[in-house]
Amino acid sequence: MAKLVLSMNGSVLGNYFLEKERFTIGRKPACDIQINDQGVSKEHAVILTVGNDQILEDLGSTNGTQINGQGAKRQILQNGDVIEVGRYRLKYVNQKAMPDMDFDKTLMIPAFDRTKLSVEGAEKTGEDTASISTAVANARNVKTVFPLGVVRGIGGAVMGREIELVRAITPLGKPGGSAIISRRPGGYYITHVAGKKYPVVNGKSIGEAPLALDNLDQIEVGADKLQFYLR
Amino acid sequence: MKLRHALTISCATDAGLVRNFNEDSVVADNDFGVVILADGMGGYKAGDVASGMATMIIGNELKEKFGKGVGRSNGVDLETELLRDAVTRANTAIHHAAHNKSQFQGMGTTVVITLFRDNVVTIAHAGDSRLYRLRNDKLEQLTMDHSLLQEQVQLGLITAEDARVSHNRNLVTRALGVNQTIAVDIRQERALPGDIYLLCSDGLNDMVDDADIELAMVSIKENIPLLVQQLVTMANDNGGHDNISVAAIKVEKPFPLRTGFFARWFGAAA
Repeated sequence: MAKLVLSMNGSVLGNYFLEKERFTIGRKPACDIQINDQGVSKEHAVILTVGNDQILEDLGSTNGTQINGQGAKRQILQNGDVIEVGRYRLKYVNQKAMPDMDFDKTLMIPAFDRTKLSVEGAEKTGEDTASISTAVANARNVKTVFPLGVVRGIGGAVMGREIELVRAITPLGKPGGSAIISRRPGGYYITHVAGKKYPVVNGKSIGEAPLALDNLDQIEVGADKLQFYLR
Repeated sequence: MKLRHALTISCATDAGLVRNFNEDSVVADNDFGVVILADGMGGYKAGDVASGMATMIIGNELKEKFGKGVGRSNGVDLETELLRDAVTRANTAIHHAAHNKSQFQGMGTTVVITLFRDNVVTIAHAGDSRLYRLRNDKLEQLTMDHSLLQEQVQLGLITAEDARVSHNRNLVTRALGVNQTIAVDIRQERALPGDIYLLCSDGLNDMVDDADIELAMVSIKENIPLLVQQLVTMANDNGGHDNISVAAIKVEKPFPLRTGFFARWFGAAA
C-alpha cells in the first residue's frame, strides 16, 4: 500500500495511506490531508489511483505543486518522489512504483469505470492515436560501457564519410541494406542482410553469422570500403 | 492459390532473460496466409496452456473453413465473420478449461491475428499484443492496446510520453478465457507489395521503442528471418524482462483471389 509521509522542516508530522481513488490535499477540512497553512490552497492537489499508477494533479493552486523541485501539473508518481505543497513536504513511498522495477506478470482487469474519475482539466478526447510508447524509460537504449564506434569511408562511394554508430542499428550498402552494424551491450557486430556477396572484414568473407568488430577492422560492403574504430 | 509465393513469413519466440517459462505462442501458416500470436497469463505454466490453446484452436478453425473452400465474400464480410467465430470458439474453450481444472484457474491470453486474403489483410486482436505495419519506410501501429495504460492516455489522464513511467503496463482490459464472451476488434486493410506486417507481444514493444523497431524494419527489410531474430536480440539487449514473440510478414506481390469457373469448381481455397 502506497503512503505519503508528511513533514515540515525535517520533522515528520504523519503517515497517510492512499486508500481512495481520489485522495485530496488542501486547506479545507474535507481534504484527506488537511494542511492548515496560508501557502496551501483550499483544494490544492489530488492523487488519483488508476490501477498501479498514482497520478498527482495540481488543482490550479495559487502557489503550485512541486515534485522533486520541479513544478508539476499532472504526473505519475514514482517511489521516493518528494511532493512540495507550500512549506510542507510529502514523500511518496510505494515499493511497487519503482521506475526500473521488473515487470509484474500480466493481469486482466475489468475495464475500469471511467465515471469514477472526474478529471478536471483533462481533455475529454485525450490522445486518440493508437500509438503509445510503452518502452520503459531505462530500457530504451543499450547501456554501453565501451567507447563509441565509428566507421570512416576509405574507398568507394562512401570515401571520406564518417558515420557514428550511435543507434542500435546502422545500415551499410544499398538502401534496404546489404549489411548492418548493430550496437550491443558487448560491442559492435556486423551482419550480412541481403545480396549474393557477404561483407568482407580484413580480407575475409564473414558469411551468414554476425561478426564482432575490433578496433581498426577494415570492412568491405559491395564496392564500399570502410574502417571501423572506437573513439 | 497458395500464398507462400506472395508472402514471406518468419516467426520467433524467446523466454527473455528474466522469466523461466515462455508463455507466448506463435503459429503461422504460409499457405493460408494466417499468423496468430498470443501472450498467455495466469498461474504456474497455465499462461502457456491458454496461449497454446488460442493459437491452436484459431489456426485449426480457420484451416478447416478454408479447407472446405470458401469463396469471395459476396457482400457479407466473410473474413471478419471467420475470425470472430474462431476467436469466440477459442475464448469459450479456454474459459471452460479455466473453470473446470483448478490448475488452470484464472488463465487467459491476449491474441493478435492477421489473415491475408484477396489483397486484403484482416486484423483481429484482444489485449495488448500488437500489429505494426511498415509502409514506405514508415512504421504505423494498426492495433490499439486493450490496456489500462491505453485508457489512461485516451482519457487524458497521462500523456502518451508519460506511458513510459507508468506502472500499469501489465494490466490488460481484454483477454481470451477470462469471461464467457470476448469483444474482439477486427479491421481490414488493403495489403500492398512491399508492406511488412509485424505482430508482437509486449515483451518487444516494452523493451524496444517504436523508433528502433522502425529502424530495424527499414534496415533489414530484405531479410525477414534476420529481422525477427534481430528484434528479439534487441529486446534482450535492453533487458529482456518478459517473453518476446515476433512474427513478420512481407508482401512480395499481389495475391488476388481467383474467380470464375475454375475457382468456383474447385473451391477457391485461400
